[in-house]
Amino acid sequence: MNEVCFKNLTKDQCWSLKTYEASGGYSVWRKILKGELTPEHIIDELKASGLRGRGGAGFPTGLKWSFMPRHSDGQKYVVCNSDEGEPGTCKDRDILRFNPHAVIEGMAIGGFVMNASVGYNYIRGEFMEPFKRFEGALKEAYEAGLLGQNINNSAINFDLYTHLGAGAYICGEETALLESIEGKKGQPRFKPPFPANVGLFGKPTTINNTESFASVPEIISRGGQWFADIGVENSGGCKLFSVSGHVKSPANFEVPMGIAFKDLLEMAGGIRDGAKLKAVIPGGSSTPVLTADVAMAMTMDYDGIERAGSMLGAGSVIIMDESTCMVEVLTRLAHFYYDESCGQCTPCREGTGWLYRVLKRITDGNGREGDIELLLGVQDKIMGNTICALGDAAAMPVESFLRCFREEFEYYIEHGKSMVKG
Amino acid sequence: MIEIEINGNVVKAKAGEMLIQVTDREGISVPRFCYHKKLSVVASCRMCLVDVEGAPKPQPACSTPVNEGMKVHTQNDKAKASQKAVMEFLLINHPLDCPICDQGGECELQDVAVEYGSDISRFSESKRIVPDGDIGALIQADMTRCIHCTRCVRFGLEIAGMMEMGGTGRGEHLKIEPFLKEGIQSELSGNMIDVCPVGALTSKPFRYELRSWQMHSMPNIARHDLVGSNLFVQTYKGKVKRVVSADNDLINETWISDRDRFSYEGLTHKNRLLEPQIKVQGQWQQVSWKVALDYAVKGLNSHVLKHQKVNQLGGLASSTATMEEFYLLKKILTEVGCDNIDHRLNVKNLDNVITLDSNIKLGALEKIDYALIVGANIRLEQPMINHRLRKATKKGADIDELNVMAFDFNHPLDTKNITAPNKIAPTLAGVLKSIMISNTQELPDYLLAVEVGEVANNIAAKLLNSRSSVIILGEHIINNEDASTIANLITQIAQNTNSKTLNLSITANTMSANWVGFVPQNSGMNVNTMLASDMRGFILLDIYPQYDFHDLETAVKAFTKDDTFVISLNSFKDDIVAGYSNVILPIASVYETSGTQLNINNDMQSYTAAVKAPDEVKPAWKVLKVMADLLALPSFHYADSAQVLAEIFHQPQTKHTHDENVNLTSKHHGISIIWQNSPYSIDAVLRHSNALQKTKIGQMNSAYMNQASAETLGLSADDKYLGVPVVITNTVADDCVFINANQAVNTQGQT
Repeated sequence: MNEVCFKNLTKDQCWSLKTYEASGGYSVWRKILKGELTPEHIIDELKASGLRGRGGAGFPTGLKWSFMPRHSDGQKYVVCNSDEGEPGTCKDRDILRFNPHAVIEGMAIGGFVMNASVGYNYIRGEFMEPFKRFEGALKEAYEAGLLGQNINNSAINFDLYTHLGAGAYICGEETALLESIEGKKGQPRFKPPFPANVGLFGKPTTINNTESFASVPEIISRGGQWFADIGVENSGGCKLFSVSGHVKSPANFEVPMGIAFKDLLEMAGGIRDGAKLKAVIPGGSSTPVLTADVAMAMTMDYDGIERAGSMLGAGSVIIMDESTCMVEVLTRLAHFYYDESCGQCTPCREGTGWLYRVLKRITDGNGREGDIELLLGVQDKIMGNTICALGDAAAMPVESFLRCFREEFEYYIEHGKSMVKG
Repeated sequence: MIEIEINGNVVKAKAGEMLIQVTDREGISVPRFCYHKKLSVVASCRMCLVDVEGAPKPQPACSTPVNEGMKVHTQNDKAKASQKAVMEFLLINHPLDCPICDQGGECELQDVAVEYGSDISRFSESKRIVPDGDIGALIQADMTRCIHCTRCVRFGLEIAGMMEMGGTGRGEHLKIEPFLKEGIQSELSGNMIDVCPVGALTSKPFRYELRSWQMHSMPNIARHDLVGSNLFVQTYKGKVKRVVSADNDLINETWISDRDRFSYEGLTHKNRLLEPQIKVQGQWQQVSWKVALDYAVKGLNSHVLKHQKVNQLGGLASSTATMEEFYLLKKILTEVGCDNIDHRLNVKNLDNVITLDSNIKLGALEKIDYALIVGANIRLEQPMINHRLRKATKKGADIDELNVMAFDFNHPLDTKNITAPNKIAPTLAGVLKSIMISNTQELPDYLLAVEVGEVANNIAAKLLNSRSSVIILGEHIINNEDASTIANLITQIAQNTNSKTLNLSITANTMSANWVGFVPQNSGMNVNTMLASDMRGFILLDIYPQYDFHDLETAVKAFTKDDTFVISLNSFKDDIVAGYSNVILPIASVYETSGTQLNINNDMQSYTAAVKAPDEVKPAWKVLKVMADLLALPSFHYADSAQVLAEIFHQPQTKHTHDENVNLTSKHHGISIIWQNSPYSIDAVLRHSNALQKTKIGQMNSAYMNQASAETLGLSADDKYLGVPVVITNTVADDCVFINANQAVNTQGQT
């Protein structure tokens, strides 16, 4: 536990350069500056590590880095997505707070591999403390001569900037994030072209999640195979899981991929007040909900969670006990997506509001016969028809809540009140 | 070329083009709202989703590049399901108030809904309502109907060059609205009405007038600039009700200026002249055409023809006449033996005129890499030509100006050279000298003493380094002391740098006047000489002296002389015209007559009348023809204006003689005045178009000068100069007053 991103968690001033370097931090970067590592070697190690994008999509990081046209002329960029906004997710915040230098080193390595001399870390607007921590670490890194132009006479340039968001969930979508950095309204771009070809300011750009970048230095330092061996097949390494909800000790846990869900639940102290587990959202609010039985038999890795009928997402595990009214939970989630839709494309702009209004009507006691079919119909029409994944994210919970807990919805519609709360 | 398969049929396509371009070309219907062929792709409405084999999700045809072997289904279950899904979402918050919506009948949403919508809405929640503000005199906003396609936003950003509409808020609260309180002010703004697929942005002057299907739509040509934009005039019961753009990629692409779109409003103004009038013993009488024409011919005979005083007759026309009218008036005059013919009413010194070829096509303008603008505010003077230049800058072209005032351009300028009027010729001479030195050419004598400044060197270097450049000469130079020299220097600079030239010192249908040679014949008098001579008769075609002449007083004095018989052909009532005329003949205005327009590219575009002229009003070509008959002139046997045009084609082309003199010895000192009618006051029909007059451009009425000039003239910001309110600004060069007047209130050019 806590071997990679959280490896210094218990140390004094764990966010400081001193602590980071004392445990081997920046050793990979220094090797690069001395010319001892090649981009190809790093990409090979990343591929061997099985590291998959920790932001939610799970795309293999090594492969992503290899897509960048590193030999093309002109400016290229690396961007870190620290706009952690998915309900249930709080891991990147803690990485920025407790291990900011790993992010800096990971981004610098990425910049070297992809021949990008400029990086941006886009930090969620509400993250004032993490922002200050990261800025502090950035200052330390510059003062230590680890960043800038012609670093240590290596002819390597890497400048890193922090960009604070303004509180829009959609800016966690990578192309909306690029728009936001460019000073525009945060709205996703259609793809193709993909950012690796036309990204920030129209230049080739690679965007990775904070946890992905923070994992890179340790992977290169200890070898891709070492990391892969921590996890299970197809889910290399360890992963941060944010366990929240009705547990005794909600927290972030960095554990090996493939850990049993019930063990993770145990680490969080189990269900509070001796209540029974009712439902689990395993990967953040956009991923399908699971019933207790299914969850308790599940392992926490990409394939394990998929087999159970959901997705690992950003590793944001929301635990709900038997006192939870699923109709009200879904209404709350629907409001979130309704509120956060950028409004650019039709199905999401119009559909999220429709879903929310129908659910709100139900929880107001004015549900009607046919509402369940209507909700299923609307979510189905959003699904797959939008520019970015926010539409799907708004649709998926509706489908899964109605599939797993349909009787609660039927009850609410028929009786005008919650089956659970009465 | 590659091959792709659409709905089972193999079609050819260009690699990398978007699927929707292929389906449009092949006539395969794919519904769309946000896609517009002349605007950037945003793929946001999602209406054009189609099924691409191998893609897990439906793909938007507007943003999916084609590649070899691609198999697409635009109508299968998967595609239809997505299209119908999007349609349902678009309709849930749309008010569906088609019966009271001006777009009804020509609404893209309505059309697509017929095929993809459902009869009954499943949406039973409250609909969204968007409050509207007043966004200006030309466009009516009903944003509750908006479907957020952002075509208007992109139009502003990409075509008009000013982002006047934008999306504020997010999600369902996304609202398309103008950012500025003053509303929409672009000179191209009306195109937003055309691009809006729904009834969110409609024509304000046309509001609640008619349904689109009630009107006839007739192709026609715009008359207010040198472009001759193609448009449709939409009429109902003999009245012009609306004007919309027509596509012509060689001329106006798919856009028209607001001036061309809204000028029709003037046609029904209460000031229209509707009946022939004669002045008998100082009293105006409304009479029949027969009486009026007899009176006119009698007057001509008694004042001029009978007494062998045909050299005391003059014919003048404004630049708004059709080619046929210029030709017929000239023919009448020459056949009675009169050589006193002119259209250059606003030129002070006709011994110092601009002769400069226009030798670049509109389409080529957007491919230039460098342009030098001399003496023009192109955006407002020639909006559709400016649009092409703007496109060039978007592809990286540099543009420099050599202007007397820093105007608002909607594209970047490389350098603004704000230069006093009397320094323009010396600067251009410097440019020529610098070029000739670079080319190691022998310098002509007149360049030996010329100083080459930094500005001149910079311009010279850019012209020499450019692969395709153009030098544009504008209307601010026509009364410059060095006008002829400036034009000749530009000709030489262009020759030495392989540049093209564009002469924008003229406007409207002046190209036609030049084509038929509507200028003094043989040793005839030019307009200024006529006005200074003892004339006994004038035929004046569509002239309003307070706007058309550089010197109102001299003109009116010449026309008003007791023994001078004046026949005026006008479309609008005017007190000054009534004051000096003996006969006033009411003539058709734009869209009421057939005719021909010659644009800057020498495209000769003929049009027919879209509506019959009101009441007793007749097309001027017919009036001139009958007058010729009454004068017993032979060979005026025309059944229609097309026969006049056919005859024009058989005339020897008028040769323009270029004097190539460069005279840099001009010692003009003191303050020069550049007087310009404001963009929406340049002709009579525009001046009577209510909505246009209410816009910010329509209200332009200022005499701009810098502090030093104001002090020299003893003026302050509260004063008027030549009747125009003074604006003191350091954007004007020294020794210059630049006037944009929307009403002529005093003699121009006199200090």
